[in-house]
Amino acid sequence: MIVDLTELLSSTLRFGTPILFVALAGLLCERVGIVNIGLEGMMLISAFFAVLGSYLSGSAWVGLGLAIVAGILVALLHAVATIRFGANQIISGIAINMLALGATGYLLVQIYGTPGSTPQVTGFSATPIPFLRDIPFIGPALFGQSWFVWVAVLLAIAIWFLLSRTTIGLRIRASGEQPQVLEASGIAVLPVRYITIAVSGVLCGLGGAYLSLSMLNNFSENMTAGRGFIALAAVIFGGWKAPRVLGAALFFGFATAMIIRVPQDVLDPQLLHIVPYVVTIIALVMFGRGSTAPASVGVPYRPGAQHS
Amino acid sequence: MTNEKPLALRMTGITKSFGGTKANDGIDLAVRHGEILGLLGENGAGKSTLMNILYGLIQPDGGTIEVDGVELRMTSSSVALSHGIGMVHQHFMLIPAFTVIENIALGAEPSQHGVVDRAEARRAVVELSERFGLKVDPNALVSDLGVAARQRVEILRALYRGAKTLVLDEPTAVLSPQETDHLFAVLREMASAGMSLILISHKLNELIALTHRVTIIRDGKVVGTVETADTSPQELATLMVGRETSLVLDVVDHKRTAEPLLKVRGLTIDDPKLGVVDFDVYGGEIVGIAGVDGSGQSELLEAIVGLRRATSGTVSIAGRDVTKSSSRTRLELGLGYVPEDRTTEGLVGALSVRENSILRRQRRKSWRRWGLLAPSIILAHARALIATNDVRPPNPDLPVQALSGGNQQKLLIGRELADNPDIVIVSQPTRGVDIAASRDIQRRMLDARNDNRAVLIASLDLDEIKALSDRVLVLFRGEIVGEVARADATDETLGLLMTGEKA
Amino acid sequence: MNAKLSAIRSAALAPALALVVSLIIGAIIMLISGVNPLTAYESLLRGSFGSASALGKTLSNATPLILTGIAVAFAFRGGLFNIGGDGQFAAGAVTAAWLGVSLNLPGLLGPITVLVAAALAGATVGALAGVLKARFRAHEVVVTIMLNFIVVNIAMWLLMHPLDGFTQVPGSAQIRPENALAPLGFGLPGVHLGLVVAIVAAIAATIFLWRTPNGLELRVTGISVKAAKYSGVNGTVAAMIALGGGGAFAGLAGAGEVLGTYGNMTVPFVTNLGFLGIGVALLGRNHPLGCIVGGIVLGALSAGGQRMQFDLGISAHLAEILVAVVLIFITMETAFTRRRKVRASPSPLNSIEASNDR
Repeated sequence: MIVDLTELLSSTLRFGTPILFVALAGLLCERVGIVNIGLEGMMLISAFFAVLGSYLSGSAWVGLGLAIVAGILVALLHAVATIRFGANQIISGIAINMLALGATGYLLVQIYGTPGSTPQVTGFSATPIPFLRDIPFIGPALFGQSWFVWVAVLLAIAIWFLLSRTTIGLRIRASGEQPQVLEASGIAVLPVRYITIAVSGVLCGLGGAYLSLSMLNNFSENMTAGRGFIALAAVIFGGWKAPRVLGAALFFGFATAMIIRVPQDVLDPQLLHIVPYVVTIIALVMFGRGSTAPASVGVPYRPGAQHS
Repeated sequence: MTNEKPLALRMTGITKSFGGTKANDGIDLAVRHGEILGLLGENGAGKSTLMNILYGLIQPDGGTIEVDGVELRMTSSSVALSHGIGMVHQHFMLIPAFTVIENIALGAEPSQHGVVDRAEARRAVVELSERFGLKVDPNALVSDLGVAARQRVEILRALYRGAKTLVLDEPTAVLSPQETDHLFAVLREMASAGMSLILISHKLNELIALTHRVTIIRDGKVVGTVETADTSPQELATLMVGRETSLVLDVVDHKRTAEPLLKVRGLTIDDPKLGVVDFDVYGGEIVGIAGVDGSGQSELLEAIVGLRRATSGTVSIAGRDVTKSSSRTRLELGLGYVPEDRTTEGLVGALSVRENSILRRQRRKSWRRWGLLAPSIILAHARALIATNDVRPPNPDLPVQALSGGNQQKLLIGRELADNPDIVIVSQPTRGVDIAASRDIQRRMLDARNDNRAVLIASLDLDEIKALSDRVLVLFRGEIVGEVARADATDETLGLLMTGEKA
Repeated sequence: MNAKLSAIRSAALAPALALVVSLIIGAIIMLISGVNPLTAYESLLRGSFGSASALGKTLSNATPLILTGIAVAFAFRGGLFNIGGDGQFAAGAVTAAWLGVSLNLPGLLGPITVLVAAALAGATVGALAGVLKARFRAHEVVVTIMLNFIVVNIAMWLLMHPLDGFTQVPGSAQIRPENALAPLGFGLPGVHLGLVVAIVAAIAATIFLWRTPNGLELRVTGISVKAAKYSGVNGTVAAMIALGGGGAFAGLAGAGEVLGTYGNMTVPFVTNLGFLGIGVALLGRNHPLGCIVGGIVLGALSAGGQRMQFDLGISAHLAEILVAVVLIFITMETAFTRRRKVRASPSPLNSIEASNDR
């Protein structure tokens, strides 16, 4: 089995990027204390609106903008339901996934007339960097990508810096560890949570838009195919730390890239499809929700009502 | 110490209700500059509510708060903090995953454009630490710190935020006698530097030792404020409970059995908190295990009961080796166990008294009819438990969490004693329980002991250990470092052993 | 008895309200799409309860839903989220397709053996997730969702290769008629013995949870793992029973569809009954008997939704949206009513005070 390194590297980045965006979104949510099983649905809805924006305006940038707005709105829906109304975070996430499937399926027919998938739209093409892309082997892979890839990596670094070095990052982490302590130190917890979740919505928007406007150029039903859950696994795999989450996302991208390269007679393609999901389970078994998870993640918080 | 300046803090007519109950009913409180005021009251009297109102975590229904003569509305903790009110909570408000510096600086981090200035934070913490004699390692993770160290971090945090009035909620509950002395020295320093301190405690001796005045709260109301110099523990106790209470338990000498009912040899588990342990408990005696928080009390009891697997050593009940047996088998062989967590371990808060009444022995065939659990049999059992143990309100269908702490403990202990076990093991018997119920629970343990059963208790409360135990075994870092008979069990002797200072 | 009735009534309040809200939102969506919601809902009712054949459709839809609902509710009582209904369903269905074709046993022994085998298959998938959670702390939500993808894909592969029936439509062969679940009759087309199986399962689950010591242990584990351990419960075993038990019910659902509704298993097959089971469980307040009601409600929605699509061209996806709205509103409602109950409690120390002074 001859492996084309360049192609492999390129595929790894391409497949890993959408997972990275959504994993960063999940990372922020979890660090601030909210479990977000609905990443899959958020990504799907963003992908849909990205295509819709481009379809209506002819511009991929409008699609991106719409995707981000959609991502923020769905994220806030989860936030309001869980924070303000005390909905169970896991069920809210599942409801969002279901809502995404139903809404995108419904609107698909309403707007475009035919079920299944949309027509092709204007997307983002790759943006190669002139000189660097000519470096042998790694050049085309690293520097021939769409700008989304770079944004994702930079965001990973930025989030690392935010969480470990800034005052805001400290407070976000405190919100996820012991929110009552944050409150006792004079900082209101709820605004920190709402804003962080809104930002995670932006990241989901970017992830969805990359999927439907860069990797592909249209929207089809359920096109996210479980990436949202794999992203969640990447967060756990990465021990809730941005640089490791980056590595985990790339690893999953690598796994996905590899399975395409296994010849048909070795393993039936139907069974090959399960590989990323098996890898995810193995990752979860190895890293579990162990002691490094934010201590209060998933625990509903009511200001002032409890301490000690 | 008293001066003509306005009072450092004055709370007037504070009222707060939860549901139908008045937790605070028109409370007046005043603290002068440089004064240490004691706030005394039983569990549930209203002390914590009052302090949480002061700290802005709860809003009062009525009443005013004045700091240095200026009336304020404590709408949040940041308001309290900005006016120099700091709080050291009973269950520390710290983030274990953060470092000492991060915990102290949270909310008031020194920063440049949003980026934390670590050097400046460190400098400030070290400076405060040296000024007040509160030693800590600034870069340590709080999860790695012992209890006394964590408390120092809590105090430093209040100081870092510029506290001029410091409230300490049961600060000595988890400290050894020596650590308590050290803390009091620091607090006296702070008071002479002009700070005002409020010490919430139900430990009468400590209040007498440290405070200038004591305000006593009972059932949400202030029943009096006395000058410490003019009062006595007995008077304080009377004011706190509302009637004459004996502070001394009636303990008669009792001869223990010839053979030990519980034998522990070379017991150790897969946990560094517990070392290798050897001891016996005879019928007719109460053995108390003393130690500071984290000394391994819970781990030891869990290993004996069978909730933790022993990696080596043996546990025998009446001569029978049960080391390999499950906790259920040990129960049926006569080992009763009352754990320290009432509503989350010993009882299930959300379930009814009725279903709780058979927990831990739910597999017994006696509850069943035709193979299924019979509600009528279980109901009868629950009713019997309620009656025998004076559980109020006497409704078997109430969820256990609707009962008060004292009633829950009565139910729990009652359930375990109902089997007439040969050995009774109790962890933290009266934690979070008011005085009347405490006396009742302690009486029951004495009754069991007088009935020739073996009683083993573990408690962080030295007073309780001293009052109940015929023998005290001191646990330090998972090992028994000393055995002290009732007559020799003093704070000093025990305290030294608890901190590992005497061989 | 009176206390029980009022308890049921207050438990039914939240789901009923949630349903009403979702129907209102559905109406808004329809208005925006230019459809008259009243005609739409009339069509919905007609398609779900309006005739014997409509009722038949509702009940036959409800049959697997009741079981996948119990699959979620049962695990939830043990403190675990069973999102793996789809995979467990597929495991049961594929087992039924395999044995239904090949097994040749006299009388009722045939279908009963297939059902038991299918339940075991579903239980295995569920128990696997349980073990991974108990031993490795792998969060069961993500694990069960991953298992869905894995098991469904494996099932499809099995149907296209070893179990290939070489029929017109890709999938298994027709099962032997003696292994099928007979129609129920009563003038209700499409309804088969599977409905009886579902109701019996609901009763059995209820008896297990509230009248056996193991059931009590499961419920205790669902509330407090610490208390469960204190009561002598092994954590790993408890997780396996909770998720394995849930999986068994979902496996039965899959077998019921193969043995009763379709007579075979084709590729691709319907794979969201497990997910919808979550809605059923929530509507039924996580009580197996409540799942009967929840299953009928969602079965009605599905039957009515098909009618709406036929009559008025409204996409069936609308039903999915309605279920999602119901989910969100039920879980929000629960928080509302719980908070109100706590504050109004007459007990003096059931408050912040008691928990502070610990």
